Amino acid sequence: MTAGSLIVIGVLQALVIAAVAPLYSGFARVLRAKMHSRRGPSILQNYRDLVKLVKRQEILPAQGNFIFRITPYLTIVCALLIVMIIPILVTESPFGWVGDMILVIYLLVLIRFFTSLSGLATGSTFGGMGARRELFISALVEPLILLVLFVMALLAGSTNLGVISTAVFTGALPYYATVWLGMISFSFVIFVEAGKLPFDLSEAEQELQEGALTEYSGRGLALMQWGLYVKQLAVVSLFLAVFIPFGSTTTLSLQACLMALLLFLLKAALLYAIAAVIENSMARLRFIKAPSVTWIALGIGLLCFAFYLVRV
Amino acid sequence: MESICLLFLSVLLFGAAAFLSLLFRRLGRAARYTSGMLAMIASLVGGLAAIRVFVQGPATFEFSGLPVLAHFAFGLDGLSAFMVGMISLLAFATSLYSTSYAEEYDKHGPGELGFFNNLFIAAMLLVVSVANAFYFLIFWESMTLASYFLVIFEHEKSESVDAGYLYFVIAHIGTALIMLAFLVLYQHTRSFDFSSFRDATLPQATKNLVFLLAFFGFGAKAGIVPLHIWLPRAHPAAPSHASALLSGVMIKTAVYGIIRLCVDLLGAPVWWWGVVVLLFGAVSAVLGILYALDERDLKRLLAYSSVENIGIILIGVGIGMVGMTIKLPALAVIGFLAALYHAINHAVFKGLLFMGAGAVIHRTHTHDMNEMGGLARLMPWTGLVFLTGAISISAIPPLSGFVSEWFLYQALFIGSTADLGVLRVFGPILAMILGLVGAMVAMCFVKAYGTTFTGPPRSQLAEQAREVPGSMLAGMGILAVGAIFLGLGAPLVTPFIGGIAADLAKVPAEILTNGMQVFPTEISQAVLSTPLVLILLAGLLTVPLLVVALLGGFRAGQKSDTQPWACGYGYSSKMGVSASNFAQPMRLAYQPLYGLRALLQKPLDDIAAFSRKVNDALPGAEPLLERTASRPLMYTVQYLGELIQRMQMGDVRTYCLYILIALAVLLFVIFR
Repeated sequence: MTAGSLIVIGVLQALVIAAVAPLYSGFARVLRAKMHSRRGPSILQNYRDLVKLVKRQEILPAQGNFIFRITPYLTIVCALLIVMIIPILVTESPFGWVGDMILVIYLLVLIRFFTSLSGLATGSTFGGMGARRELFISALVEPLILLVLFVMALLAGSTNLGVISTAVFTGALPYYATVWLGMISFSFVIFVEAGKLPFDLSEAEQELQEGALTEYSGRGLALMQWGLYVKQLAVVSLFLAVFIPFGSTTTLSLQACLMALLLFLLKAALLYAIAAVIENSMARLRFIKAPSVTWIALGIGLLCFAFYLVRV
Repeated sequence: MESICLLFLSVLLFGAAAFLSLLFRRLGRAARYTSGMLAMIASLVGGLAAIRVFVQGPATFEFSGLPVLAHFAFGLDGLSAFMVGMISLLAFATSLYSTSYAEEYDKHGPGELGFFNNLFIAAMLLVVSVANAFYFLIFWESMTLASYFLVIFEHEKSESVDAGYLYFVIAHIGTALIMLAFLVLYQHTRSFDFSSFRDATLPQATKNLVFLLAFFGFGAKAGIVPLHIWLPRAHPAAPSHASALLSGVMIKTAVYGIIRLCVDLLGAPVWWWGVVVLLFGAVSAVLGILYALDERDLKRLLAYSSVENIGIILIGVGIGMVGMTIKLPALAVIGFLAALYHAINHAVFKGLLFMGAGAVIHRTHTHDMNEMGGLARLMPWTGLVFLTGAISISAIPPLSGFVSEWFLYQALFIGSTADLGVLRVFGPILAMILGLVGAMVAMCFVKAYGTTFTGPPRSQLAEQAREVPGSMLAGMGILAVGAIFLGLGAPLVTPFIGGIAADLAKVPAEILTNGMQVFPTEISQAVLSTPLVLILLAGLLTVPLLVVALLGGFRAGQKSDTQPWACGYGYSSKMGVSASNFAQPMRLAYQPLYGLRALLQKPLDDIAAFSRKVNDALPGAEPLLERTASRPLMYTVQYLGELIQRMQMGDVRTYCLYILIALAVLLFVIFR
């Protein structure tokens, strides 16, 4: 595929994900309401919220400095760059010439760094608590993300996400136990990164007043929420790109791209639905008990690594 | 040759700065300025020497006129020049900073501070360029002593003195081990020259012995766990610009020693050497950052984080060494590249952070982060440069720390595909550990920046802080620009450092860049382009801006609140998260590892206690001398005096009698 068309695909991915991310979060809300036997909001409610919030006056906390103001922009921008690097529509990494999976992981760290810093910057109790939790949880899952992706990269022979995706897509990297175990442990990462129950700890609405988001309002809050929706979908698409890339296209025609897009949206919807079922059948973990679950996930990750070692 | 002359000139200028500073010690300000300005010129000359080596190639110099024990031999190859450049850069920035900062120490004697500081820099320059073991040890020892005096500079504080003792003892244990290593080599080669070590054919057992002695000897100086205990106490005790040098470059001279001796001179002949190095590196990285998280003393937090960074550098060195042993050029080059790249990065951002901490302490007069808060509004520029340092050290793209860690991940990747079981197992595990360390570093520096510079001011001192003078800002600014350049300029910097790494591994240089991209020898393995990351992030900014503008968000206006929401209660700055409780969950989750620290600290505390006992015994040693030597003497004098006293009765007649007797005796003698 030519560089030019890859750039177009990358930009297209960013725009599509940015546009549909609130829809998916709305979908999760609807599913949740249905499972609670409530009528729930419309699936488009998130869009309405965002539009309304943008138009509202923004109230800045007295202590907040420039970090508080730039964080919403940084969050959405980094999430979009991640989406451009992850192979979503095609099996190649559209912006793979910028960086590899290590860059993607560290862009996620960037988002986390600034969201927690802005939580701390407000001087609010809830903001600080949220920041602390966010970083603590990341210290628990970061090793897992790296281990699993590293093993997948070793199997595919490159840390370029496109190469990994292509290897799984073409069957050069068949589904044997290593991949399955990697998939299982990586699915914990989705829950943590997306802030879903039982890991809804740093933005815990009922407990911490949305943690680091507490003091955001108006367009800051709108951008922040939109950024987090995009980030959620980005993590989901990372999972799909590495473990379930089927449906992506290798040829570049409008028809094929639309087909791939449709399949991706379906796969993502399915994952959101599964996640919603799990999420709603669980209670939130007590914050300090979270390590016991992530240790299990890490254990599965290590098992995946052990399988990788003995296979050859 | 010219480069060596420039280096000597630089060393002489540092020497001149040292002595002039001492000469003007009574003049305060004059001493500060002379020492600072001369040192800046000296570091420019030093930087020039390094550049000349990169342009003209390595140079050697030997002065055999001296009828002493060993050849006075110097050599500036790529590695030495790299170190000289690093030291010069930090020396320049810290000297500029010190012209104002040392004001804080005017009452302690700015002259002495300048003296020891400049001697320290000069000794470091000589350590990394000398090519003879005998003189290496002499310069190494001068470096240790000069830095010891910097550590105990505030000698009225008992903790500084204790830290100094601990440093003194451990540094000398290290020096003794290094000395033994060189003596073993001397035994076989009958020469102290590095060149003869390099050409010698030694039995493997000897090489192993030398490696172990040198690794632990230099490791004591580098601060690898478990020999790190002195570091978090000694580095913060020194004045901040000296801390920047101690943490930024001095511990790198130890890494230089390990590379010079084990890689360059001995050639890393067996794979377990590298594995030992990288395992100690991994342990240091994890424990270093874990302990850093627990600190509320800003400078001590930074010092612990140096232990972590040395760990990361050593992982790179270890991988490079294994790569050399198993003859895998890509692995060796990328491993050493990652190590050297991280070494210069760490020098820059840790220097910057220590100076930033110094600026904060200069204005708030406390090391305790719980007493700070909200300083970014009062000290905006200091806040900005500190944030640059914090982002770089947290390996956040596209700044400098990320590039070197990226190369380290790539080295681990190459190692994991290598035909060596140990690396196949350790490669992914180390990547996992690096991920853990990365997350904890981010947490640590969110805490450091967040609780110091943002949030509400938590003490009166923090409320009254003001911005530091321009020269301090300029000193920090240079390094902030450096941190940004080393990140965004990766495609420019990588070939240089890659060349040095290839020289070290004794393989031809590899191609590592392609336009704005860098890659680990194989473009198919991975590419990274930090400048493009920045461009894309900036370009994507149009998306949120456009959306907000289209929806009319910018017309909605902004308003500043008076205080954060506190469930309807009155807000107090005590409600925010403080430095001491920020990492509390980590303390719970990693309790055993924190317990390990207490365990490790015990024997070393005993050493410190023993040293203190020795010190206390010194005043007791004085009466001992008095009892054995001076008291009998005194009694004798007294006895004689009493005898004489009997003759002096105060009676004039008796005195007349004495005179008459004396006359009679004299007459008798003369006219006999």
